[in-house]
Amino acid sequence: MIEVKGVSHQFNIGKKGSEKIVPVLHEINLHIKKREIVAIVGRSGSGKSTLLNLMSGYIRPVKGEIHVMGEQVTHLSEGQWADFRLRHFGFMFQSFQLIPSMTAYENIELPLVLQGMDTLKRKLRVQELMERVDLHDYAGHYPGELSGGQQQRVSVARALVLNPPIVLADEPTGSLDSENEMQLLGLIHELNRERGTTFVIITHDEQVAAIADRTVALADGRLKPGKEQVTYEV
Amino acid sequence: MKFKDQLRFVRQNMKKNKSRVFMTVLATAMGCAFLIVLASVGFGLQKSIVDKIVGDRLVTAITVWGKKNIDQQLNAEDLKYLKSLNHVKAVTYKDYIMQPLVYTSDNQTMSTDKTVAVDFEEEAKAGFALAAGRLPQKPGEVVAGFHFGKTVIGPEDAARSEDKRADKERAEGWIGKKLTFDVHQLVNGKKESFPQQVTVVGIKEKPKREWLMDTNIYIEIGLRDQIEQLTGTQLGEMRIAANGNEEAYEPRAFDEPRNYNSVETFVSKAQQVKETAETMREKGYSIHSIADEVSQIDVVFTIMKIGLVFVGTIAILIASIGIFNTMTMAVTERSQDIGIMKAIGAHPRIIRRIFLLESAWIGLLGALVGTAAAYLLSAAVNTGVPLLIQAFMNEKVPQDFIFSLIPPYLAALSCAISVGVALLSGARPAKRATRVDVLRALRRDV
Ligand SMILES: Nc1ncnc2c1ncn2[C@@H]1O[C@H](COP(=O)(O)OP(=O)(O)O)[C@@H](O)[C@H]1O
Ligand SMILES: [Mg+2]
Repeated sequence: MIEVKGVSHQFNIGKKGSEKIVPVLHEINLHIKKREIVAIVGRSGSGKSTLLNLMSGYIRPVKGEIHVMGEQVTHLSEGQWADFRLRHFGFMFQSFQLIPSMTAYENIELPLVLQGMDTLKRKLRVQELMERVDLHDYAGHYPGELSGGQQQRVSVARALVLNPPIVLADEPTGSLDSENEMQLLGLIHELNRERGTTFVIITHDEQVAAIADRTVALADGRLKPGKEQVTYEV
Repeated sequence: MKFKDQLRFVRQNMKKNKSRVFMTVLATAMGCAFLIVLASVGFGLQKSIVDKIVGDRLVTAITVWGKKNIDQQLNAEDLKYLKSLNHVKAVTYKDYIMQPLVYTSDNQTMSTDKTVAVDFEEEAKAGFALAAGRLPQKPGEVVAGFHFGKTVIGPEDAARSEDKRADKERAEGWIGKKLTFDVHQLVNGKKESFPQQVTVVGIKEKPKREWLMDTNIYIEIGLRDQIEQLTGTQLGEMRIAANGNEEAYEPRAFDEPRNYNSVETFVSKAQQVKETAETMREKGYSIHSIADEVSQIDVVFTIMKIGLVFVGTIAILIASIGIFNTMTMAVTERSQDIGIMKAIGAHPRIIRRIFLLESAWIGLLGALVGTAAAYLLSAAVNTGVPLLIQAFMNEKVPQDFIFSLIPPYLAALSCAISVGVALLSGARPAKRATRVDVLRALRRDV
């Protein structure tokens, strides 16, 4: 599904002339299979988000290649990346990233609108998903009027509404209390089984690892096999 | 993304800061109204002045004075040739009856002295305008000039001053009246009279120039022929008997080739005048067209109008600073939303289009409001300025003189200018929107 081949990344910080190079990832190799839930763990600052951002196309690797569903994505232009993301990825974030001026319904509908689906089909899809994530009574609510758990369920629905093969989630439970976290993880687990969606979830949380098929750990910019379940060569 | 959805986004976005959008639309509307009203003065003055010059004459008419030099009159051959020309839709002429015909009706006698035979079929094509009634269809039917009734001699004079009816009503009163007159001719040295009777079926339109009086009687070519049959001479001209040392005068016989006077040709569109006139000149006709005269003035006014539109556009350009500002702020305020949209897969093209659409929308709203305001202002100018001139300069503005005129294409032009300018000023902010960095916009998360 996703293949990360020898990817290294570094940031240049400071003003021109007195730049400082901050190496973050070093020669990362990672193979994510279809229908897997992969948890990426590691201490804060270990480069987890950077790795996910590289897979999402938000940043470009300094070295190495990334293949998604057989396609080399490292050299896609910004516009091509946008189309690619819309077609293949769903996204979840720690702070949900819902558009505050849109209702829960409109937020979930957004990917469909971007894709150009017509209104009636959209309605069916969105309603079905809202039902699935237990939000049917909150269609007209704005994100500000929803609890954290509800907002994150809106974002799960938004991530899945186009039925993408892959969902990339950066600390999706990071701002949830444990009860909501359990609920969300259960939901992700079920959706993974129902739809066969691949999930790549960043976390520094043991709970997430519990639903993962596989855990990989990042430390000092290098990937190490995780503690639990099937391990994977570095 | 569907256009409909893009529009929905734009509307939602604009609702987020109504007062700012309102002020921007207002500024654009003011610029647009200023442009239209300013240019409308050029259009209004041009129309008023050109109308004054043109008067009753048609800009599509070409008067043909004669051939080679003015002395050589036109004959039937020439008329046929003129009719055959491209673009020419009608050729008219005036055959003045060459003896004074005195008309009487209900014991009233008219002092009219001009009786004109015209080809009504051609006149109809040329746009012979009637104030009332219809065109003649047979020789016994005639059209009276608008002021025909004013020529009544005698008892009517007193009655006329008491007649309070409007000119038009009074003129229309002649429709259906029977007129009698005598055709005279010397036959074998003896003056003979041939009584005739005709019916007024139409009243010609009032001449546009206030001081002009139209007291003519317009008759059919058929009636002219009848008169010629009676007199045996062209246009009913009278023979003069020898008298002392004066020789007898025998006019042209009615069956001899004839000449035509006041020949006018009509084309369908004013733009065809130039080309047609050119052709006629090449053929040696001596001609004149009001379009020639007016085209000089038109050039001056066209330059003036372009200048005014140019100056007016500056007002819209000033308003465009507002649009630029509004859009820049909108992009800044919404960078979080833009970032989220890009993060989940919105194409930069879509993002740019949404912002361009928003600024075009502001431009269009401004243009529509501005155009409506401009029409109101223009009406106010047209009623207000004559009053001001009268009050302060004690001078009367001629009737029908307009200061401001907004032709639909001026309104369309300024709408296009303001939408265009809005698009231009929205271009940079829209470009900036596409450059919003996803990670920076989602920073809360990183
Ligand atoms: N845009 C950036 N510019 C400079 N340094 C960055 C940038 N993004 C991340 N880093 C640095 O890269 C390292 C890894 O960050 P990140 O991938 O966010 O870690 P994690 O998600 O594991 O907490 C950190 O040391 C961070 O300071
Ligand atoms: Mg992180």
